[in-house]
Amino acid sequence: MTLTLALRTEPPARVVAAPLIPERLLGCTASTVEAMDLRCGGETVAVGDLFEVSGVGGEADSLVLAGDLRRFDWIGADMSTGEIEVHGDVGAWAGAEMSGGLLRVVGDAGARLGAAYPGGRVGMTGGEIVVSGDAGEETGAGMRRGLIAVGGQTGAGAGLRMLAGTVIALGGIGAEAGLGNRRGTLASGRALDPLPSYAFAVRFHPPALALQLRRVRELGLIVDDALLRGAWARWSGDRTELARGELLIYDEENGAR
Amino acid sequence: MTGYVLGATEVADTFAEAFPMRFARLVITAASEAWALEAARSMTGFATSVIGCKCEAAIEMPLGAQDTPDGRPGIAVLLFAMDREGVGKRVLERVGQSVLTCPTTACFDGLPRAEGTVPLGRSLRYFGDGFQGSKVIGGERFWRIPVMEGEFLVCETVGVGRGVGGGNLVIGAGDVDAALAAAQAAVEAMRGEGVALPFPGGIVRSGSKVGALTSKSLPATTNHQMAPTLRVQVDDTLIPDGVGAMFEIVIDGVSEEAVRAAMRRGLHAAAGAGATHVTAANFGGKLGEFHFPLTELREAP
Repeated sequence: MTLTLALRTEPPARVVAAPLIPERLLGCTASTVEAMDLRCGGETVAVGDLFEVSGVGGEADSLVLAGDLRRFDWIGADMSTGEIEVHGDVGAWAGAEMSGGLLRVVGDAGARLGAAYPGGRVGMTGGEIVVSGDAGEETGAGMRRGLIAVGGQTGAGAGLRMLAGTVIALGGIGAEAGLGNRRGTLASGRALDPLPSYAFAVRFHPPALALQLRRVRELGLIVDDALLRGAWARWSGDRTELARGELLIYDEENGAR
Repeated sequence: MTGYVLGATEVADTFAEAFPMRFARLVITAASEAWALEAARSMTGFATSVIGCKCEAAIEMPLGAQDTPDGRPGIAVLLFAMDREGVGKRVLERVGQSVLTCPTTACFDGLPRAEGTVPLGRSLRYFGDGFQGSKVIGGERFWRIPVMEGEFLVCETVGVGRGVGGGNLVIGAGDVDAALAAAQAAVEAMRGEGVALPFPGGIVRSGSKVGALTSKSLPATTNHQMAPTLRVQVDDTLIPDGVGAMFEIVIDGVSEEAVRAAMRRGLHAAAGAGATHVTAANFGGKLGEFHFPLTELREAP
């Protein structure tokens, strides 16, 4: 049975929601979860004071959060297994340094989605993050492995110091993407101006991206057939690093084949 | 030796003898079905018999774009060898030479839940000379190997299953044309999911026996008992009266049932297409683990 947390009331300050991950709630009853403490500003607050909890954290290993959670940071941070589905917007650092599982946000996500912690070098190391709306600045910063798929746009600085992994933004990657990117893939469904440290390589049909887009579609995002069949421009960079990363930009003019 | 009669076809009271084999199933996709077919044909070429080719392979069936991992037209290919190591070596060689080289292709594992695996992209990636990269998509790792046309995408490993090799039918008629027409009809009926017919066009005209009458070093020689030109020259001919030509269809399958079902389809198709006699090859039942009596195939599919 899925554990469901429906927001009762907006918290008085920003909440660190990192404890709310499936592996920590496995087998917990609703009352156990309600009694858990979360950091809220300089105070602690019981989960039950913020959420109406129902269900049991059973073997299904899944968690549903519902409500406007823009003041909740670190949702899904450090998760390694299971699935979190959020119906509503989430705050910053969602999925930060996660290593496995699926974080699905039906709404917008804040800054540093799937990123490294402050001062940390390595962000997300596995798993999948799917955001139906937009994502904030520095999405996938420090990312090493895994997939971040955004139905809308990302903010500026996506893929900052990215090591590897993939960030796809169907609605377009924001400005200054991929600064310090070593081996990562940033795929933008809309045109953008690459950083000067990226160089145009070729227009082609990237087979791995096609497979990833099909996976993104499986995960619930609407992926236009044109993106699957169309040509993409590959820009290599960041040339201040290994230059083995790539910025793939959908070539709207070339169209589908 | 007539077991029973199907229309005008006499079916011998005998059985086909088959062996346990290991197999891999690959899904080759390309920008068009024609290019996928080119790669599949090349990959399954010279793979008629483990005795001479170290593996047996054939096209299993075409796949529509809706049935392939990347949404492009594809071809499913089956490759059989005697053990998992053999499957691994042959798959690596053949994908490396025939699929990697073929324009626009990608190669996927068609047996994702198999009990064992052998490396494919994990080894083939070194062709990328350090420029290769990988992506984990839906929990499965794929390798991207840069090539002159773009990138070759290949799965990291392929599954290896336990199959059956060496099921067979031997189809005879009054002359070559009639026997070949019956055999072709059988092949058409037999091809499909879970079955590989590794010989040219699915048909072999040079059935063999183990060893030789004239040498101790030859592993296999012509099946003189089924050579019509030797009918009156040898004492142990198996050519029935009125038969002027015989063709064998060798069947490798992903399971005993897949082979049996294919044999049943083939037997009835041959009978309906002018075969006067249908029999099967065996080794007296002493070598193969699987026996397929033709008497069990009497009911139409």
